[in-house]
Amino acid sequence: MSHGAQKEFKVTWGMVIDLDKCTGCGACMTACQVENNIAPMLDASNKMRTLSWMLVFEMSNKKAAPEAEIAYLPRPCMQCGNPACVPVCPVVATEKNEEGGIVSQIYPRCIGCRYCMAACPYHARYFNWEDPIFPKGMEKALSPNTSARPRGVVEKCNFCHTRLMKAKDKARQEGGNPEALADGAYMPACSEVCPTGAITFGDLKNPEHKVYELAKSEHAFRLLEKLGLAPQVYYMSKREWVRKLGDNYAAAGKAGAEKKHS
Amino acid sequence: MGLDRRGFVKIVMGGVAGTLFTPVIWQGLDDTSIWSQNWGWIPRLNKGEVKATSALSKLCPAGCAVKVKTVGGLPFAVVGNKDNTMSKGGVCPVCAGGAQLMYSPARVKSPMKKVGEGKYEAIKWEDAEALLLEKLTPLKGQEGKIAAISGDETGTANEVLSALLAGLGSSAFYVMPGEMFTAGKGVKLMGGSGQPGFDIEGADLVLMVGADALDSWGTTVANQKAFAAARPTGKEAAAQYVYAGPILNNTASVCDKFVPVPPTATAAFCLALANALINAGAVSSASDFAEYKALAAKFTAEEFEKTTGLKPEVLADLVARFKAAKAPLVIAGASFGQGAGALDFVAAASLNVLLGRVGQKGGMTLLPAAPKAIATATDRENAKDAASFLASVATGKATPGVLLIYEANPAFALPQPAEMAKAMGNIAFKVSFSTYMDETAALADLILPAPHPYERYDDAMNPYGVAKPTYLAGKPVVAKPVMDCKDPMDVLLAAAGKLGLSLGAETYADAVKAKAKAVGADFDALAAGGAWTGEPKSGSLNLGAAALAKAPSAKLDDKTVAFAPVTKLAYGTANLATPPANTLVVRDTELLGKDLFVQMNAATAKKLGVANGAKVKLTAGSGEVKALVHVNEGVAAGTAAMLLGFGHSAWDEYTKGKGDNIYKILTVSDEAGTGLKVWAGSTVTVAKI
Repeated sequence: MSHGAQKEFKVTWGMVIDLDKCTGCGACMTACQVENNIAPMLDASNKMRTLSWMLVFEMSNKKAAPEAEIAYLPRPCMQCGNPACVPVCPVVATEKNEEGGIVSQIYPRCIGCRYCMAACPYHARYFNWEDPIFPKGMEKALSPNTSARPRGVVEKCNFCHTRLMKAKDKARQEGGNPEALADGAYMPACSEVCPTGAITFGDLKNPEHKVYELAKSEHAFRLLEKLGLAPQVYYMSKREWVRKLGDNYAAAGKAGAEKKHS
Repeated sequence: MGLDRRGFVKIVMGGVAGTLFTPVIWQGLDDTSIWSQNWGWIPRLNKGEVKATSALSKLCPAGCAVKVKTVGGLPFAVVGNKDNTMSKGGVCPVCAGGAQLMYSPARVKSPMKKVGEGKYEAIKWEDAEALLLEKLTPLKGQEGKIAAISGDETGTANEVLSALLAGLGSSAFYVMPGEMFTAGKGVKLMGGSGQPGFDIEGADLVLMVGADALDSWGTTVANQKAFAAARPTGKEAAAQYVYAGPILNNTASVCDKFVPVPPTATAAFCLALANALINAGAVSSASDFAEYKALAAKFTAEEFEKTTGLKPEVLADLVARFKAAKAPLVIAGASFGQGAGALDFVAAASLNVLLGRVGQKGGMTLLPAAPKAIATATDRENAKDAASFLASVATGKATPGVLLIYEANPAFALPQPAEMAKAMGNIAFKVSFSTYMDETAALADLILPAPHPYERYDDAMNPYGVAKPTYLAGKPVVAKPVMDCKDPMDVLLAAAGKLGLSLGAETYADAVKAKAKAVGADFDALAAGGAWTGEPKSGSLNLGAAALAKAPSAKLDDKTVAFAPVTKLAYGTANLATPPANTLVVRDTELLGKDLFVQMNAATAKKLGVANGAKVKLTAGSGEVKALVHVNEGVAAGTAAMLLGFGHSAWDEYTKGKGDNIYKILTVSDEAGTGLKVWAGSTVTVAKI
């Protein structure tokens, strides 16, 4: 895929995350870690070394109390329509060519050069500095859905891709259409666990899926929209300062509005 | 035949072209790439049938009704149970990593006997049970000689424990501090009885005073579900949420309004709001309204500004919100779920009485006493607190010979833990029934490993905060526990039998089933993921004016600030250090390496003469903790906030020695008028180091 070209898919899996409902509780991060077999780290405060496929950022309106406000922003991989990471990979270890638009990460092909990490403006990619060492016995609690990755490869959120495969299998077994899954038939772990239902997941192109309308809301926006990467993850907030901070290009204009790119 | 230059170039070019066309090179590279990642130490995945089994996950204080996913019978993930009317498909961050906690390195692997200072040896269960019986037998029939501390607020285990003690002639049954305990006392001060409930689901304005209801207070997941239902994504909100507390916490982050109230000014804030509401026309038919009105009148807008540091416009805004609401609700609670006095509860709860919201839909309710499974068990309303008990042990007023500790960690999770641990040293034989090697187990003479929640029968009656009587129960998800453990109640019921007592149940499973029957619920339906609910009782409350007249107000000097401990459910509970799957969630502005941060706003930092990143020492009483300063504008005026639950000296390599235990600087005082031990309004001195 050449840079600048946006590949279109009939099905486009995406999220709309309601930031006015995210309490920052961290359940999505834990569920993600469990689903994707991310080994616990001895010093998890060293954020240069941790692996957080889903990371909840804290945003502040920078005002003094009592006008101070904060918002939490869960950040999975944006599964960009026009990903910056894909064209820079020298070994084609990351691609965007599967129906659904999920950007893949093929660990056995990855040579750990980290070009993709440098390219990703969302910091959604992580390098395995260590082998996945689980405390003795905890490997018995590994999820069967994601292989453990060795030291030296880059990894990232893939919208719990195994769940998509399983949902398609289930549809086939039940005589349904695997390319037109019902709303909720496929859901990543973060979206499933979120206790306030802040993360709505579905096919952005299917009018029967909730995300179809939500992504068009006047309160919806995408992170760093000015870069033209067309993320498949949308956010929404009724708070203007949140929308402006999420897309700093919009600071001068109407937040969340469609941008023209040079 | 010689090799000329042309021939040599041809061979080289042919070789290069050949390598491009043969798959050997590419296959070799591909294989190298694959096999260089395929080491023996990279864990392999488990195979087998994937199933989801209903469970009661009592890892968080309220307990989540969940489904545990297993592969080949091994639990690996936890998802919500949509059919459960309490959890409604939600999972809290602790229970989300519940399967991994089965294999926590901190788990006690087998019974252990203390053989020297900090030294233990593994013993067989039969020897452990014989030792327990040997220690209990001579104390039978002596009041106060056998004591028990429970950290479980909701289980029938409390009935087994207290009935066992009663049968052995002792009434020394104590509970760890929590909202339930304080609120029960508060309700009594308001002329009522029973556990208070809060109908968040039915309210259109929820004012949370202190209570971190959307993260760590009460039935967190049920509260979050009620919040989510009232705020449908992409649609208009059906309810407003306001948080009044010392820090812009997770709950406040999604509220329509955050009112920064220092932890020392909770009662003053509530009374000032009461005064403003009365001035705006609120009247109550409660018998003590006149007295209450006179008391509230002292909390003028000026007084409000003086005690909270907030402008009177904040009050006017709140009054306008209350006037516009049809079903307002005030939730009373300590910002960190414990240590508040009953008076802080009364001050906030009295607003519900003033607004006529007691017993109404979307209001405050009172729950009837739950039927007991064991008749001789202590009523929950009559529970006594563990902090006072250990203080009596320290002074020699209480002299138990045996202390049974169940699901509690008093050597860590009580104020001035070093003194608590020292007091425990006065008790000759301490038995810790614990799943994990916590600080209290590390002091015990006998450690009896308890099963993880997915390995045992358990139940939860009226988790604190529910609006109507609620009962949940569960059975083991796995056929066999991971460690060599036994249910603590099975051990105690067997001991009871040998001591000639009959508590009406042979095993804890029997006791839980008896409880379900007493409540009128079907145990099998509950174990399959259901919930039983009843109706709240009728009854009214007064405004608690007589008690509120004694509400104290703290005086702060230049170097002293109000201290606000902060809890985040993801970071663990009073009984659980941060689970390994959750350490990632902790921010690097909260814990960095081994240093915990103290949060304060810029004005407070200036007043104390400290800058962002400075290393400081916080002292109170005989305790001291060190921390780095993080300037956070979300902290109330004159307040320092720090995370609770760090600085463990036991547990595992993920938590041991990380941060400091701020219980060390929580100072206990006796609340005027109630005599309760309180520490929610603690103050600290901050100095640069």
